Order: sequence, then C-alpha cells, then structure tokens
Amino acid sequence: MAVTEILPDDEALRRDRRARVLDELEAAGVDVLVAGREANARYVSGAPRLWMAGSRPFGLGCVLVRATGAIHLLSTWDEGIPEEIPHERLYGISFNSKSFLTVLQGVEGAATAKVVATDGLATGAVSLLGVAFPEAEVVDGTRLLDRARRVKAPDEVEAIRASVAVAERALVATEAALAPGVTERQLTGVFMEAMAADGVTTPAAQDVAWRTSAARPWHRAGRDAPIEDGDLVAFEAGVVRGGYIGELGRTLVVGADRTRSSALFDRAAGLRARLLDACTADAPASALLDAYAAAGEPPPPVPVARGLGLGYDLPLVTAALPQTAAEQRLEVGMVLVLTTHVWEEGVGSVLDHEPVVITRTGPELLRSTAP
Amino acid sequence: MAAAPPISIPDAPDLGRMRRERLDRLRALLAAQGIDTLVLLGNTHVVYATGAIWPLADAGRANFEQPVAVVLADDEWPHLFSHARDEVDLPVDHLHPPVHLDFDEGVAAFVAQLRDLVPDGAVLAVDEWTHAMSREPWLRFADKPKDAGRLIAMAKAVKTPDELSCLRAGLRITEQAIAEVQARVAPGVRQSDLTATFLRTIFDAGADANILDPIWQVMPARMADGPWTTTGDLAVPLLTTERELAVGDVLWVDTGISHLGFHSDFGRTWIVGQEPDARQRDQFERWRSIIGAVLDVTRAGATAADLTAAAIRAADGVVPWMPHFYLGHGLGIDSAEAPFVGSDLGEAFDASLVLAAGMVLVLEPIVWDDGAAGYRSEEVLLITEDGWEPMTDYPYDPF
Repeated sequence: MAVTEILPDDEALRRDRRARVLDELEAAGVDVLVAGREANARYVSGAPRLWMAGSRPFGLGCVLVRATGAIHLLSTWDEGIPEEIPHERLYGISFNSKSFLTVLQGVEGAATAKVVATDGLATGAVSLLGVAFPEAEVVDGTRLLDRARRVKAPDEVEAIRASVAVAERALVATEAALAPGVTERQLTGVFMEAMAADGVTTPAAQDVAWRTSAARPWHRAGRDAPIEDGDLVAFEAGVVRGGYIGELGRTLVVGADRTRSSALFDRAAGLRARLLDACTADAPASALLDAYAAAGEPPPPVPVARGLGLGYDLPLVTAALPQTAAEQRLEVGMVLVLTTHVWEEGVGSVLDHEPVVITRTGPELLRSTAP
Repeated sequence: MAAAPPISIPDAPDLGRMRRERLDRLRALLAAQGIDTLVLLGNTHVVYATGAIWPLADAGRANFEQPVAVVLADDEWPHLFSHARDEVDLPVDHLHPPVHLDFDEGVAAFVAQLRDLVPDGAVLAVDEWTHAMSREPWLRFADKPKDAGRLIAMAKAVKTPDELSCLRAGLRITEQAIAEVQARVAPGVRQSDLTATFLRTIFDAGADANILDPIWQVMPARMADGPWTTTGDLAVPLLTTERELAVGDVLWVDTGISHLGFHSDFGRTWIVGQEPDARQRDQFERWRSIIGAVLDVTRAGATAADLTAAAIRAADGVVPWMPHFYLGHGLGIDSAEAPFVGSDLGEAFDASLVLAAGMVLVLEPIVWDDGAAGYRSEEVLLITEDGWEPMTDYPYDPF
C-alpha cells in the first residue's frame, strides 16, 4: 500500500521497544537516557525524522526519563510524532546551546538525577549535561541499548523482511543493467531509481556496485571504470524502509563464460554454508570467525556479521575484534547480515550478504529468492 | 544586483594541492593552540583531513564503518584507518585497517597503533568520542578533551580555489539532476517519483552520494493547515512520501548531494501543472527584492547583522526567514556549516560575525502570505573582497 502521509511507528511496536529500554534503565540504575544516534532515538521515540547520509556527532536527539517514561524529542513539528509525546516535550532545531540547556533543565528530576546515560560524547553536549544534571554521573548507555535492541520483536523481523524485499527488487533491476561498458556509478543510479520508484527514498548504503579486483583483494579501481566482460561485480543492496534497514548482496559474472570463476563461486558457496551452520542459538558469535578459518579463507576488513534493525545493531562480528566476538552469544530473534567474501588472484572477489533471523532451528533466510 | 568580477576558480580541482593546503592550515592551527595530534571520527572531518572519498552510508551504518583520521603536527601526511576499498592517495604506511572505537577491544587496538605515532603525554584533540575511548587511560579523554571540531571549523571556513572548484562541480551535478526532475513535475506524479529521477541522474552525472532524503514539500495555503510547530511558524522540511502531486500544488524543493567531499544545496519553489498566478508572481518579486537588498550589502568585511538588517528592511519589517533556520548558512564539507546568518544565536552573534572573502554562503529567505502560501529559493554565492559572485545559474522557472 502506498504511503502518502508521515506516521509514527506502530503503537504496539513503540510500546514494546520502550518497555525494553526502560527495563534496562531500571536494571542499570540509570535515571535519564540521552540518545544522540538516530537509531536509538527512533527506537525509543517511534518518530521518523529526516534521513541524512553520514555519521553525525553526538547531540541531544532524544531524552527518556526512567521514572515516568516521558520522552523529550528533538523535532520542530508534530508531524509523525506519536501521541504520547505531547507538544510541550518537543524541542526544535536550534544553533544555540542555551536552548538545549533549557530543554534539559526542564526534564523532570534533572536537578536530582544521579545517573545519566548517553550513546556518545562530544564537547558541547557533555558541557550541557554537566550543567543540566549537576548531581549526575554521565555513564555509557550503549551497552544497555544494545541489550534492549539486539533481539528483535516479531514485528521488527517482519519490518526488516519487508525492507529486504524492497532492496531485493531494486537489486534485480540493477542486475538487469549489468553489461560491458556500464560503470559502478551508473549501476548505483539504477538501484536508487528502482528503490525510489518502489516508494522508498532512503538507501542504507550508497556503495551499490563494486567491480572487484583480480589484482588486489579489497580494492576499487574507480567508480567510473567501464565494466568488462569476465569481471566479477559485487552488488550490495540496502534500503531504509520505515526506519528499518534491509540489506542483501551477491556477485555476478559479466558475460557467459563462467569457467574461470566457477571454482571461486564454489568456494564462496562452501563458506556461506559454514556461516549459516554457525548461526545456531546460544553459539558464540566467534563461531562465524571460525567458519572463515575452517574454510581456509582470510576474513575481509568489514564485519563478517552484524545486526540489522534501525541502524547500528549488534552484534558486530569482525576479525579485528576476536575477544568481543568470543564473549557474545547468538540468540533466537537476532537478525544478522552474514558476509561471505572470497578472493582469487587473476579472478576477483565473490561477495555475498545474507540477511537471516536466528530461530530455534537455525537461521531463516529473509530474502525471498534462492541465492 | 550586479555581481563582482569573478575570482579565479579552476575548471578542474587539483586534489593533491587542495589537501596540502588544508593540512598546512590544520598544522598552523595545531601549532597556535599547542595541540600535537588530531583524532577525527566525524565522516566529513575525515574527508577534510585525508581527502578520502567513499560513498556515505545511512547514519546507523556509518557508525559500523567509521573511518578515523589522525593528523600529527609534524607529519605532512595524515593517517587513515578505514574499511573502504576506494583508492586513497596517501603513503602506504599511513593507511591502516579499520578500527572499532565503540568497543574496548577496538580502542585498545587503536591506541596500540597510536602509541607508535604519538609520544606519551602528547596533547590530543578529538571531534567526538565514545564511552570506550573515555575508559582508555592513555587517551585521557575522561576529562573533557580539546575540541578538534572547532579547529576544523576554523580551517574550513574560507575555501581555497580548488575547494570552490569541487563545490561548483557538485552544484552543477545537482542542477543537472534538478532539470530532469523539474521536467517531470506534473499532476499525478508522486513525490517519490521525483526522488527516483533525482537519484538516478545525480549518479549518472558523477555524484558520490546523496546526502539527504530529497524534499518536495507541498506547502499549505495557511500555516495553520500545516503541522503544529515549536516556533508557531512553518514546518519545513517535511518528509517525502508517495503522495501524488495535484494541479496548483506549491512545491518547496530542497536537496543536495556529495561530490569530491563537498556537499551541494539546492532550493526552489515550483507550481504543479499551471503557471504561477499574479499573487505568486508578486511573492517571487518580493523575494527577489529581499535577495537583492541582501546582496547589495554582501561583501568581505560585512557582518551577518548587515545582511539580516537589509533583509528585514526589504521585507517591510517582517523577518523573512524561518525561525528554526536562518537567512543564510555556509556550505562546504557539510551541507549547513558556519557561518550562520540570522540563526537563534541572536543579534549580538550576528553583529560579531564578519564575512571573509572565500566564504560560501547559501541565502534562503522566504516570502509567506498566510492564506496564499509563499515563495522560497536558495542562492549560493561566494563572498569576494568587494562583493560576491554567484556559484550557480539555475533559472527560477516557472517564475
């Protein structure tokens, strides 16, 4: 159904997500949560805000008070704002830190709060927190938010599945445009056009097509080099629909001749099967790194698995953080995107992103078509 | 509103020279402020310091894959820690695998590398930091570290000719795409269809990334017919949906892209399916007279207060911009950066803000007739010693 007005996230979903965060605040003894990251603010508030590309410094995007459940939200208007956030708890865009100080000082219990948790730190915001919450210690809120968010509610899984479906349809349109002479940048344009024509105007990533290198394993020659017959071109499709990110990716050979690359695709299929096997409830997340080792494939510089959701969802499983991976357990209801990457000199890379939800019986694929 | 004679903007930027000049500025600021090392996490700050360009992702994903730059006071090259596979023109020993600074393990690995580059006790400045970084004693971020963001803001305010060349190229790509979009505007077309055309065309024309969900806002005739706002004024920008355009809709357009590390900005008012009526033409003429009055006083040495006063005088005493924004803002590696003219920083701030040659300003006054909607466009200009020059020449059609 076409979306023609801006609405908040579904009420039951909002209630469920907020209750999880409030439980974590209670358990951690946190009085006030200040969320700067858009994903965390969306999780707590259920309010859609303007999509922008790139990282943003920590700021006062959303404030949640544990004692009352009250939410204060950075929004100059009430379009798309849930009814439980009244006008008096909205604060507008401002360039003046005094405005934000007034907002924080108006938060119930600000003067006596003992523990304030944030999901980031930046000079200006930290100064304001110190003045507005004179009695409080500022603590790390990222871990409690992670605990609240990492296992998805069934409605969240369905939202991600719907988002994956949009990414997949746009990916199919992009793959149809793959031919000698086209460039990575042009293929990106095809993807974006198909995504928006499908009603979703916000991508999760804008690195959609990669002409993999036969000479170096993780290298791009340039986004304007014409793609040639025999190239292995990796597609990474990601969209943000209703706040939730859906991603998938796969690699195609340009032209009909598969003889040179078929062994590499077999290696990728073997590694992918090992990664799926590792997605067992209660297994350590490091099993995904072990899958690479067992297959004899070096892991890529990007994560081999990461959570999918509103953005910055954990766990993050990457070869650079082996200890972190060993300490985390995969759980039923986690949604992950699994990354398969294999490379062969003289051939190129096969890269695959597989979105899955972990169930009691193993991983369930979230894409509709067979890989 | 006669423009000053153009200053020299190269047709093609020299990216190596651009980065050298930036690093010279940064190192001069480091020396002046007694800082030894900059640690930069913000995407656009990393782009500024290293010249690395990668397609920017959604903010959530950007936190997973966040390149980090380290600038040393005594090294001509910056260090880059990045996942990106894009070619970066830096010495091999200055390129490092990505670091993950939200995790204690990631911070420990980063600091182990940093200690090879920076002596113990060096003075570090950082633009933003994580809780895991504040737990690492060697960084000494638990007390408030020095603010690298302010330093970057100082360095980037006045653009070099190569930077202006990049910026103008990005503006041209944007306007090329906008021309395709404008040709498609018609009753029955969805807002999201306009986005489809815009996104397709920017990448075909060479954009590195889109930077915001493009705005094609259908304005209400009366302010009260739009959403409630904290300011009691207009709600802009509102999000794009699959809403179909209808004859007579007044569209306020606002969008921008990223190209060679620079952000563009574009704003116009369009009427769907018919020519503007007399009232709308009058709004446009009033908008032009406001812009003209502002440009008449715009030059290096003018204050932001000179510009706001001229705008208000030309608007017969009404403040002709939205209270949650400004009369104008800077444009560069960020789509809205200093200088901010007419923001809620207040009149004293505006009076103290002196424009300098080489700054880029986007003026975005509005005319609003409650009951008959209004007109808004954006003018991108370069401040020169004796005036200004336009950075773009996109027409105001259908006005």
